[in-house]
Parts: sequence; C-alpha cells; structure tokens
Amino acid sequence: MNAAIAHPFAGRAKPVYLNFALKTFQSQAAYKFEYFVGVFNGLLYVFIFTSLWSAIYSGLQSGSDTPFTRAGIITYAVFAMICRISMTMEDTEISSRIRSGDIAMDMTKPVNFFLMNLSQTVGVTMFHWFTRVTPILLACFLAFDLEVSLEPARMAAAVCAWAMGYFVFFLLNFAFALLAFWFVETFSFQLTKYALINLLSGAIIPVDFFPSRLRPFMEMLPFQYIFYTPTAVFTGHLAWPETVRLMSLQAVWIAILGLLCSVMWRSAQRKLVVQGG
Amino acid sequence: MSGAIIKVENLTRQFAMSEGRSGFGGSILNLFSRRHFMKKAIDNICFDVGEGEFVGYVGENGAGKSTTIKILTGILTPTSGRAQVAGIVPYERRPDNARNIGVVFGQRTQLWWDLPARESFDLLRSIYKIDDATFRKNFDELSDALELGPLLSVPVRKLSLGQRMRCDIAAALLHAPRALFLDEPTIGLDVIAKDQVRKFLRRANKENGATIILTTHDMDDIEALCERIIILDEGKVAYDGSTEKLKDDYAREKLLEVELSDASPELPALPKVEVTRREGNRVWLKFSQDDVTAQEVISRILGACAVNDISIHEPKVGDIVRKIYSSGLLKHPVAT
Repeated sequence: MNAAIAHPFAGRAKPVYLNFALKTFQSQAAYKFEYFVGVFNGLLYVFIFTSLWSAIYSGLQSGSDTPFTRAGIITYAVFAMICRISMTMEDTEISSRIRSGDIAMDMTKPVNFFLMNLSQTVGVTMFHWFTRVTPILLACFLAFDLEVSLEPARMAAAVCAWAMGYFVFFLLNFAFALLAFWFVETFSFQLTKYALINLLSGAIIPVDFFPSRLRPFMEMLPFQYIFYTPTAVFTGHLAWPETVRLMSLQAVWIAILGLLCSVMWRSAQRKLVVQGG
Repeated sequence: MSGAIIKVENLTRQFAMSEGRSGFGGSILNLFSRRHFMKKAIDNICFDVGEGEFVGYVGENGAGKSTTIKILTGILTPTSGRAQVAGIVPYERRPDNARNIGVVFGQRTQLWWDLPARESFDLLRSIYKIDDATFRKNFDELSDALELGPLLSVPVRKLSLGQRMRCDIAAALLHAPRALFLDEPTIGLDVIAKDQVRKFLRRANKENGATIILTTHDMDDIEALCERIIILDEGKVAYDGSTEKLKDDYAREKLLEVELSDASPELPALPKVEVTRREGNRVWLKFSQDDVTAQEVISRILGACAVNDISIHEPKVGDIVRKIYSSGLLKHPVAT
C-alpha cells in the first residue's frame, strides 16, 4: 500500500451509537430531490393549517370566547406543524425489517437493539433539523406575524418539553413497531396510530378546543404530550404551573412507555421468528 | 479433533403452524379461526464442529438448515436441547455470542444501502470496538484478497450482486470471528463471482484457520470447499461425515467414457458392465465398484482394442445427494 495515500480508515473509531446516528444522517442525505420536496411539503402543510384557522376565526363573532386569540392560534398552528416536522421519523422501518426478516442482520450484532434504533432515529431528526426545520422556521418568521416571547426560562422549558415529547413519540412508535413480532403485518395498527396522533396530539387541533369533559381522558393518553405540550410551552400559551404539570406528566409517560417497550422487547426476543430464508 | 467450537446437543425446535382453509369462503373463515398444529423444524439434532473445520450443511428447502443457523447465531431459541458456540449459549447471551461469530445471509445484506461500503465498515469498527491497528490489518488483508479497493466509495445500491457479496463477506470477517456462518453466499452469482468467493473462502479456511459452516443448495460449493458434509432430512441429521466418504458410501457406480481408435471394433466380454450409450467410436460404460474395479475394466478394454482416450467420471456430490433424496436412502443413515 502506497504510504502517500491515507489509509481509508486512518482516523479513530467513533463511539458506536454516535456512529449509528451519523451514518443515518449520511444516508438521509443521499437523496437530494427528496429533501427539496420535503421542504416544500412542510411549507404547504403550514400554509394549509394557518389558512384553515384564519378562515375559522374570521367567521367568529367578535368577543367570542375562544382559548386562543387570532394571532395566537396562527402562532400555535405554525409551531405545531414545525414541531411535527422536527419529529419526523421512519416509523415503519423497524416493523418492515421485522416483517422481511432483515432484522436478523441487526440481531447478529453485539448492539443494543433499542439504543441502535434510538440513535438511528436521532440521526434522522438531526437531518430534519438541518434541512427542513431551519428553512421552514425562517420562512415562517418572514411570512407570519408570530407572537413568541423569547424569555430564556420559557425557551429552556420548551426545549425540555420538546425533548420529552420526542421521547414519548419515539417510544410510542417503537412499541407499535414491535407489534410486528406478533402480528407480522402492522399496517392497520400504524394507520390507527396516525389517526390517534392527528386527532389527539395537538398537531392539528390544540387540546383546548376539545370538550372539557373529554380533557381528563385525553390527559390519561400519551398523545397530547407529543406535540401539544412542547408547542403550548413554546408559544407561551400555558401559565407556569400548567407548564410544570404537563411536563411532569410527559416524564411519567416516558417511564410508562419505556417500561412497556422493555417488556415487549423481552417477550419478543423469546418468541422471535425471523421471517424467510 | 482439536476442541469443538460448536456443540449441538439434541436440538429441537417446534413451530406453531396454522392450516388455512382454501378458497374465498375459507379465507373469510380463517379470519376467525384456524387449525393450529406443531411442526418440528429440527428434531433432536446432534453434531460438533472442531476449530478450523469447513462444514457443508445441506438439505432440501424446509429441512431445517436455516433454523439451526438462526439458533447458532442467537436469533432463535430452541424448544429443547442445547447449543454452544465458543463456550457461549447463543440464545442466552446473544450480544456476547455476536462478538464471536460472523454471519453472511446471501439473500440479505448488512451493508447500508445508500452509503458506500466503507461507511458500513467504519460502523462495524465501532460496533465491535476493534482497536485501530487490528482493524486496519484485518481490513487490508480482506481488501487485498477480495479486491475491495475500487468498491469502497461506491454506494452499495450501485454495486453488482457479486461485488456486494464480496463486501458482505468482508463485513462479516472484519472482527476476525471465531466461527463464520454462511447462508447461501453464492446465490445468484455468476460463474466468475462464484469462483472468486470460493477461492477466498478456501483461503480463509486453510490459511487463517477460520471455522466455517456453509449452507447452500449449490452442491458445487460443497464439492469445492467442504471436507465434511452434514445432510439434513425433514429436520433430522441424515448423514454426517467426510465428503469423500459420502462418495464411497453412496456412489458405488462409476461411469467410464472410452474413445476407440476405429468405429466398429468388438468390445471384449465385460461381465457386470453395462454399455449405456454408443456413438460412433465413443462408448459409455457403467459398473458398480462392488462388482468390478475400474482398473480391471480398463485393462480388459486395453487388452482387446486400440483406444484413443479413456476417462472416468467421478460421481458428483450433487448427484449423490439428489439420488439419496429421491431414493429415500436416508431412512437408514450410515453415520452417527
């Protein structure tokens, strides 16, 4: 080997889960056109929902009792959509690997399956932050008159609420993906999950608009902690006591779903049947 | 035998199968109830593999080959019995076992589809926590032997199947595993690519002493590579012994092709030899080694006629295995 040419593996080995995240990031970058379409798609969704709320609010009698002001609901709609884009993950990847049997390749490696998937998801998210969230965020600040107070304590709380919402979302997706071990085909489970998330997570309709009798039940489900809590904290819609309460409930849901995933994973490994071959 | 690296004792794995009703009405009924029954994919299998052995593990589709490999790689738990790889029970300590083994599934890839192969190798370096010097040494050896240089910076999805397989084999060997499991590594490869893969595997086994278990439907792979063959039939070990012995035991018949100098001489009387075909001055003869030796037949012919050429067709492992399955000879296994 020519000494002048650097060895292809000249550098030092990176920590394994960091490397999983980096490789996923690189893979995502392989399709440039897909990225541009993704940005366009994100902007389109922001446009659809802000237009929808404008139309709804312009039909209201002045002085109607609503949980948001007109500017407030537009701000919420923009950030709920950005929050949703920032948490995009390839949530059918795990179940399709289980279904096709490709999971065998993962299982013959000395890695923790949960951490491997988490770091891959973080890789996807990093990519989306760089390539979608940032340009869409900038475009929205230019296009809309957004009501955001940049109070440091609130920003810090919003970052925490986002991170916890992200964990709730990841664990929920992971649990749904693991269902493939028992049911093989999980498409209809996934559709149900999307429907519940669309309805209950606050991605489209802030939970404030639901009838007050339903609200306690919604608090007992994990969905509103994914998008509603971080968005409502960030836009300053919640008072501090309510912020603290919802963020505590986020933490409780992380614990519950984490436990559920670990029980499911243990039992899945015992009954593991790798499809095909 | 130097210490056994793989031990399989009375290994059994049952699967719950469901029997569906046929037809449209049947598939509606299937939504509500199915008849379940248990099927043994492998049934009381025993064998040991010594360090440095190259074993062919063959059987028809559904004979239980993949089930065994999945148990040995830790991704399937047996119903009963016990397996050990390098002292570890794979399905009890999957991650520890994973450090000791390398796996190639010919129909799957462990390489990242959208990235150049070097990125997958770099990730494997992190996964196995291989120290930098050892990794570079292993990589250089594999890269030379499998000619990986020009493939490293091409996204894996753009590689040909043969190129991808070379990268996949390298990926399975980067951490210098103690046992290598190959499941159909030559499937779909063209003749040249097959030959490259075989040459490399032979070298890895002979020179580096890698222990290799090879599952394949390609009997030429077995013939070219494996000193030992284990044949599975309906989940049971039907034959376990050297590939040579298999030929001796099952292929008693030999085929002799003789090219005579002129077209119409009378062949000498050859008792217990059957003339199977005659074409101009070429004659094909079949006989059993139990009745008469090849040497006897040849010397008789040479004594009576002028001969241009004589060749003996050795039996092929593939033909033997095919014959064994079709004639049901395996119901009375000779070994184990």
